[in-house]
Amino acid sequence: MSRLTAKALLATALVPLLAAPVAAQDYGNFEGYTLRVKLIGGAQYEPLYAEISKWEEMTGATVEILSRKNHFELDREIKQDIAARTLDWCVGSNHTSFAPQYGNIYADLNELIDADTLDAFVPLVLEHSTVGGRLVQLPRHSDVSNMFYIKSLFADGDNQTAFKAEYGYDLAPPETWAQVLDQAKFFANPPDFYGTQFVGKDEAVVGRFYEMLVAEGGQLFTDDWEPTFNSEAGVRALQWFVDLYQSKAVPVGVPNYLWDDTGLGFASGTVALNLDWAGWSAFFNDPENSKVAGDVGLVRAPKGSSGKRTGWSGSHSFSITEACDNKDAAASFVTFITDHDRQMVEARNGLLPTRTAVWEDAKAEFAADGRDFMVDVFDTFATSMSEDAFTPPLIPEWIEVSNVLWPRLQAALVGDMTAQEALDKAAEEALLIMEDAGYR
Amino acid sequence: MLRYFRARQAKLTPLLLLSPALLTMLFVVGIPMVFSFYTSLTPYRLTRPETIETFIGLRNYTRLLSDEAFWIAFGRTILFLAIALNVEFLLGLGIALLINRITWGQRTLRTIMMFPMMFSPILVGFQFKFIFNDNIGILNNALQSLGLADQAIPWLVDGKLAMFSIIFAEVWMSTSVFAILLLAGLFAMPRDPLEAAKVDGCNPWQVFRHIMLPFIMPFAFIAMTIRSLDVARAYDIVAVMTDGGPAGRTELLWTLIARMGYENARMGQANAMAYISTILSIAFTYYFFTKLVAARRFMGGAE
Repeated sequence: MSRLTAKALLATALVPLLAAPVAAQDYGNFEGYTLRVKLIGGAQYEPLYAEISKWEEMTGATVEILSRKNHFELDREIKQDIAARTLDWCVGSNHTSFAPQYGNIYADLNELIDADTLDAFVPLVLEHSTVGGRLVQLPRHSDVSNMFYIKSLFADGDNQTAFKAEYGYDLAPPETWAQVLDQAKFFANPPDFYGTQFVGKDEAVVGRFYEMLVAEGGQLFTDDWEPTFNSEAGVRALQWFVDLYQSKAVPVGVPNYLWDDTGLGFASGTVALNLDWAGWSAFFNDPENSKVAGDVGLVRAPKGSSGKRTGWSGSHSFSITEACDNKDAAASFVTFITDHDRQMVEARNGLLPTRTAVWEDAKAEFAADGRDFMVDVFDTFATSMSEDAFTPPLIPEWIEVSNVLWPRLQAALVGDMTAQEALDKAAEEALLIMEDAGYR
Repeated sequence: MLRYFRARQAKLTPLLLLSPALLTMLFVVGIPMVFSFYTSLTPYRLTRPETIETFIGLRNYTRLLSDEAFWIAFGRTILFLAIALNVEFLLGLGIALLINRITWGQRTLRTIMMFPMMFSPILVGFQFKFIFNDNIGILNNALQSLGLADQAIPWLVDGKLAMFSIIFAEVWMSTSVFAILLLAGLFAMPRDPLEAAKVDGCNPWQVFRHIMLPFIMPFAFIAMTIRSLDVARAYDIVAVMTDGGPAGRTELLWTLIARMGYENARMGQANAMAYISTILSIAFTYYFFTKLVAARRFMGGAE
């Protein structure tokens, strides 16, 4: 390549960079206005809030953060605000699984944010953010789970021979959940080592059951909202967890596990396979925190017997209240806080972006920095976010239904009930909730 | 006539002087109580404020009467209370007696003893959740390394062990309440009866049983009253460690009520549960107060 061509190429490559500030969005002028916001707090969410001062400089407005709590406490506070009719703030953190509960307190962003801005988001994620035809939230970052595994275990020659002898097929990172069951049993050597693990309580275990139900070809409700998760597919899905638990291929404490237990468990090097969220990727590969750093492999979440992959997904988001006294300022703020550069800040920390362009740009940056594992992570998660992701039913009763389901799922796990009995009982209770809520 | 008004005024003066206190009580305690009781007679949902206007009478309460899960949690809370209070009392008594005997470093020890009380219950919950974790928890790892266990003990999954673990955390955090109050009792104790008993030839057990114990029992009952109210509304530690699970094996009243009220947003139903559960607190408080009065009378030498 001649020097001239190289220069020309370099110059062309720089055009978008130079042009960027010119094209930067005008966030408006809200001199003297104070925007009151309630945001989700916590280590992974805070770095973004350092950017808020930039919006304040650009627009002359001030942002007053009224609360910064974890998700469940924030949820409680918002419900209290609704009850006390004290929604005197403009922007709140939200989540696709929680949003339907809040009724009509949040404005339809289709009317507040221009179509060009919305077009830059991943369409499926915007669809998940829509409740009853209204875009009640602008997604900030998404999450979905994929399968992490310890590479050296699968590469080991002895393991490969022994596995083939026992199960009749080659040992390779799992493509189906049936294979996960085999491999988990094969690798398990309790109490020192376990095949896999799963979260076992609260909405967490319901989410895991729900995605397995979908992958097995079942569904939670019929079209007219009758609970149908006690179907054959439902029993098959739950039985998968029960088999794993009863065969001691997972730690005996899993009925009490939440995300921190599974994450720390895999990082401790005592678990072969671990379906987990993208947010853990950097942690798993960090030698300071993880004994498996450098030995972590990742494949897309496996398929159930219906051929569909699991893909329970949710997105953190921002919403604008209907009661807001300056919706333009609020719209400017949520647009800013989810724009390209802000999402890059979160992507660098391993959070999954919701803008199509950020997926590519973050990946390019990881590649340039030699962070090959993160490139792999973004490749895998981009595919599952655009092809496999689905949300729980977007109805206000989701959390309540999940609260009748999880104690029953646990009962099946620990052997108090059979899978069929547990699901029948939960379906009965869920039906009552749906009837109370006027669906039937 | 004038005298009549003066007399009347004199009667009203105490009421007038008390009125700030009475009004405060009315607004801070009375009205919220009446209001929350009213909501327990409605299908009130936090996310649908208009539901507060629908009156459904005792429907929430009748539903609860046949709700097996609620009554199991009710019974379990009583059991939890009984075990935790007794263990805390015995340990607290032991600690107080030991500290009472030492002459050097007593103040430092008293301060150190209060450390567990300084942590937020949520943090105590997380701490014990990881100590009792079956795979990466320090307890199982220690037991396995010492050769005392050859398999992972499911501390937070097995019904009995899970209750034990939660009670352990509760006791760890709050035994010092008993220790401190009982120690205060021991400090306040006059020396004369003890010396007289020694002169009369009582052995240490007799001194403890017949002189020290009756003297500190009123302090113990005060501690029990305070702690019974605390434990009856135990929530944070349980919510973090097991959230009532697995399969409802560690469900206590307040994990159930909080889930119903906030997560399910059914505040009307949750308030009905809370009103029934206050019976528990009232019963325990009444019981301990009767005991307290009896213990005082005993101390006064009436019996």
